[in-house]
Amino acid sequence: MSTGYVLDPTANREDDNASPGPDAGLLAGKHIGFRLDRMWRAWDWISEQWAEKFREAGAQVSFWRSAGRSGDEGDRCEREYAAFLDSIDVAVVGLANCGSCTGWTVRDSITAANAGLPTVAVATANFETFAHEIAARGGRSGLRVHVLPYPLNENRREEVLPIGEAHFGPMLETMGAVLDVAEAAE
Amino acid sequence: MSIDLIRPSADKPAPVPQTLVSRDCGPEGCEVDWLASKRHEAELDIESFNDFALEKGWGDGLPLVPPTEGRVRAFLAANNRYPDEVIARMPDMSECTVEKIVINAVMAGAPAESLELIIAAIASIADPDFELYGVNATTAPVYPMFVVNGPVRHELGIPFSYGCLGGEANKAAAMGRAIRLIMRNVAGQVPGTTCQTTFGNPGRIAGIVTGEWEEKSPWAPLGERRGVSGNTVTSFGTMGTINVIDSTSHTAEDFLEMTARSMAYPGCNAFSGLVPFAEMMIAINPIWAEIIGKEMPDIADVQECLWKHGSLDASLFQANHRDELEKQERIRSDGRVYLTPEPKDMLVFVCGGLGGLHATGFHTFGTSLSQTKPIASVAG
Repeated sequence: MSTGYVLDPTANREDDNASPGPDAGLLAGKHIGFRLDRMWRAWDWISEQWAEKFREAGAQVSFWRSAGRSGDEGDRCEREYAAFLDSIDVAVVGLANCGSCTGWTVRDSITAANAGLPTVAVATANFETFAHEIAARGGRSGLRVHVLPYPLNENRREEVLPIGEAHFGPMLETMGAVLDVAEAAE
Repeated sequence: MSIDLIRPSADKPAPVPQTLVSRDCGPEGCEVDWLASKRHEAELDIESFNDFALEKGWGDGLPLVPPTEGRVRAFLAANNRYPDEVIARMPDMSECTVEKIVINAVMAGAPAESLELIIAAIASIADPDFELYGVNATTAPVYPMFVVNGPVRHELGIPFSYGCLGGEANKAAAMGRAIRLIMRNVAGQVPGTTCQTTFGNPGRIAGIVTGEWEEKSPWAPLGERRGVSGNTVTSFGTMGTINVIDSTSHTAEDFLEMTARSMAYPGCNAFSGLVPFAEMMIAINPIWAEIIGKEMPDIADVQECLWKHGSLDASLFQANHRDELEKQERIRSDGRVYLTPEPKDMLVFVCGGLGGLHATGFHTFGTSLSQTKPIASVAG
């Protein structure tokens, strides 16, 4: 047997930002933006539910829905998303609930985090590890990821809403957010 | 009602064939001494190296050729590229250099003379409109197929006749495998880690690299119809091949109707509630092409016919799915849902053996859009 040297066929980006980015902090008076998609009705239901709670806490809420990401529609999406990020203070990005949609969720989360916004990506449990892996390959290994149970979208609305309710508090923790001034002072 | 139409991104320049400057270093070959990749010490016999490569996660499970410095240098020396040239940035912004392409091509067993074809193929799938970001990550079984046009088909022995989509003994499979290894090792498509493909696909080993049988086609070559003449490669992200057999039809419309109707099934990508638009690719065998071409010498008429029949009445979808399509405004005033937004999105090329009888359809993934790139050549 002969020994020799072979050349490494792999390539990875070499930079990484391991920071989770800034905490969202006190939400009252802030503008929270939800990034939705055309795929997951469960994410629509949960984001509406969480949005109501944000409004009750004195925050303003907006939604932006991702569509086709290729061709001129992709260009339009990129422009719209950039404008959306300019208009908000905190980004809640979902839903990582399949392969490509996890890719795009993480990519849009990284764009928001790199813009300096407190950002949380929302994934279902089956795609949690994948989301972290993609975030690391995208140069943002510290990206905040909040994890919802899986399967999720297969459930009916009345089954999904209690899940959203139970996850609101933990999601606030993930994003480093507080709802009231007293809590913020602690 | 507003149907989402497919238009290429306005942010990219039109493809221009690149002429390379000869870097012929004479009969001794070039002394390429700027290879930047990490060196790994390894046993070089096939069994040991392949165990090593599997452990490193470099391969697809089939035997690999050890990418020794000598082999990589020889491959480069046979071409006219510097190894540090960046051909594309992958979805995670990693750089796909000529050096990385060559290392993977050596491992796949691709011939040195195929480098420009592989480079053009990589440039095509790295185009943002191909949406490699999604193609890499998806649960779907998508893999790229490449249709080659121009004299380069003959020079490289790209198959376009019997068994052209797989199974004929030729080096196109190794070229396809090189592209697949680059997608894995450079673009980061590793099942279960950075790729969530549920089932995968046999095409994920070597993809499809086929030629168009231009000499048997009544229409202009696919690349030329897409605005690039000469040697070209057209990439298309496909979920796999769908065979259509028709031993009954006689007329152009009959063949095309049978083919298109066979593509329009409820669970196909184009009818998914997840995607606002999709393309389709259809390979027509030379025997049918001759019959169809006599009646429809204008390819636009062929596409129109395929498009018209590539649709389903909305009532044939289950209620939940129909609701999704309705929300996307995909149900048209005639009550039908069409595979593609417009006839032009039904892409057609001619290939296959002279036994005829079959067509092959290819559904794409999501909104990944096909790309045509010129293959560079050396001046003179």
